[in-house]
Amino acid sequence: MTILTIMGQGMAVLLFAYVAGMLYYGLYRNITARFQKRIGPPVLQTFYDSMKLLFKDEATAFGWMFYLGPVIMATGSVLTLLLLPFLRVWHEGSLSVYGDLFVILYLMVMGPLGNALAVGVSGNPFGVMGVTRGLTRLMGLELPFYIAVIGVMSVAQSSDIWHIIAWQQIHGINMIHYPLLFIAALFSFVGFMGSSPFDVVAAPQEVYSGPRSEFSGKFLGLLMSQNAIFGFAKLLLMVDLFWGGADSIVELILKTFTLFLVTIVIGVVYGRFKVHQAVDFLVKFPTLLGVVGLLLL
Amino acid sequence: MNILASLQPQLCDKFETQAFDLKRDDLAQVIVEKKIWRAVMDYLKEEAGFVTLLTITCTDWIEEERFELNYIFAHETKRCDLMLSFSIARDGESVQTLTDRWPQAEVMERDLHEMFGIVFEGHPNLASFALENWHHTPPLRREFDTLAFVNEHFEFRKGREENVDVKAEAKRLRALKKAKAQAEAEAKKEKGADDADE
Amino acid sequence: MKEGFLIEQERLEHEAAASLKSSGLINDIIRYFRKKSIFVLAYGTGCGAIEMPPTFTSRYDAERFGIRGAATPRQADVIVVSGYLSFKTLRRIIHTYEQMASPKYVIALGSCTINGGMYWDSYNTIKQLDKYIPVDMYANGCMPRPEALLEAFIALQKKIENDEEPSGWERYLENIEWYRQNQRAVLGEDIKPAYEADWYTEGR
Repeated sequence: MTILTIMGQGMAVLLFAYVAGMLYYGLYRNITARFQKRIGPPVLQTFYDSMKLLFKDEATAFGWMFYLGPVIMATGSVLTLLLLPFLRVWHEGSLSVYGDLFVILYLMVMGPLGNALAVGVSGNPFGVMGVTRGLTRLMGLELPFYIAVIGVMSVAQSSDIWHIIAWQQIHGINMIHYPLLFIAALFSFVGFMGSSPFDVVAAPQEVYSGPRSEFSGKFLGLLMSQNAIFGFAKLLLMVDLFWGGADSIVELILKTFTLFLVTIVIGVVYGRFKVHQAVDFLVKFPTLLGVVGLLLL
Repeated sequence: MNILASLQPQLCDKFETQAFDLKRDDLAQVIVEKKIWRAVMDYLKEEAGFVTLLTITCTDWIEEERFELNYIFAHETKRCDLMLSFSIARDGESVQTLTDRWPQAEVMERDLHEMFGIVFEGHPNLASFALENWHHTPPLRREFDTLAFVNEHFEFRKGREENVDVKAEAKRLRALKKAKAQAEAEAKKEKGADDADE
Repeated sequence: MKEGFLIEQERLEHEAAASLKSSGLINDIIRYFRKKSIFVLAYGTGCGAIEMPPTFTSRYDAERFGIRGAATPRQADVIVVSGYLSFKTLRRIIHTYEQMASPKYVIALGSCTINGGMYWDSYNTIKQLDKYIPVDMYANGCMPRPEALLEAFIALQKKIENDEEPSGWERYLENIEWYRQNQRAVLGEDIKPAYEADWYTEGR
């Protein structure tokens, strides 16, 4: 296992995640449009948007801390992706043998927090409001998700994701064994994906796209691109934890897209919660399900 | 019993009203002198139950050299409105503000100050409201010539160069169409004749 | 903090604006992306604002052409000026336009923006929008229907793709003194709106 294989595999994973994420988010808009009896944008629309933004000028200059925000965000996403097991057969030569679940959970929060710093520098009230909403929502999101993760870890007797996948290889996937934990994690997952009904952070009608409101041009393009990668990383995490990972690319695409379809449908059907409604909901039902699931282990 | 009709004798007894004009069942106008308008208004608010100030309007009687200020009130429970009117001189006469009784009068008085140039004494903020940086005559005074102002300050886009008289053009097009249809019909006729010959 | 206009002014001074426009395969690709993705800032100044929601929702579905709404001026490519502009609104429009990131385009909606429309003799509305900000595309009518608005968008897309004439933001940079002069003529010396929060409660 040389440094070259690690880098090569990392680049391959990154490229795949970028392409898949862009296509998924393009399909998100298209399928949403079909639900609303529209024709909808082409599947590549998200790609067009991000590329156009990458070739645009910026309208703002707030100093280096402001520029660092999207970069920290992108770093968090890419690291999260690289430290996750991609395919089961790619155990050798993967960066993911070094990380465990704790690192992943930390990295998932690191990006948004770094971005929050940049938003604070810009001083835009809507941006700060969006960040505040995001932190409030995060409290609600993390509770059920961490409960589910604790359950999964205690079953596999390890915090290593490879061990969790191996356990599922032997005993069957976690979703069937511990459905309550899965449902609790799924609620949080829908929130993490930033779709309705938990999309209070970037609500365009309320806080004018929240943390993104001051970013323009290349930074917005970078944020959109990292969002695609991060979205795929989150899908991968759920697939690894509850659906036993994947052996081939086809299986991976099938599993992640099925999961993504769930968030699309939930997002289309439900409107946006208010902030306190979202937190109330997440603290009550999914947490309760998670606790019951923990007791039934 | 109609509240406005019953109000008329009370009001006329108590104050020297110049006129009480019952325009409809639910609409009346009271015209008073400027010196007693606050007292009448207080009576209307405290005793007669006209608690809501709907709007303040101004009429410019330029021939009689006066502004007529109209304060329109709505009744607390009944469905009727009352208009309290009094006149001030067109230039230089100021009016006491109403913001101490109804806070919403602030915006209305600001608007009147901007559009007519009436000064309201004791108003907290007579800054510009809908117009910004307006240094001309207040635009709703009747001596303000809107058209002259527009011609002086703006220039209009010229029409297109290929611009044509619409009526003449329509006539020409109609004639063209008619001639074409006629030619077609004749051609058809000839063709039909040819076919018959064959 | 520097923003919008100041950055553009800097660029004008360095004469970098000329280098932005060049031909070649990469520029063609970039123009293709710009054409396919248009973020719209719908500035509802007049009655035309009501034509915008049907354009973007299920009935006319502008999103199938890659046209979608933007939440803030910073993210937008196109500003749609919908209808008549009073002096007060014009001031905001100019400020908003200068906060947008280049390349940026302006679509003017309705007769009011072309020649004053039905407000031709009003003392408080401007008559020709393109004296104050550069307009890339007009949709005439009073009011133009959503079809006309969509047609304007598609014409703008063609214009972006062909790149035959300097687009509005380039003209604005080149002739900034002329535009500023016109703006000062109607708005007075302080062009930038003062965004004090106490404009209303002042002195209370």
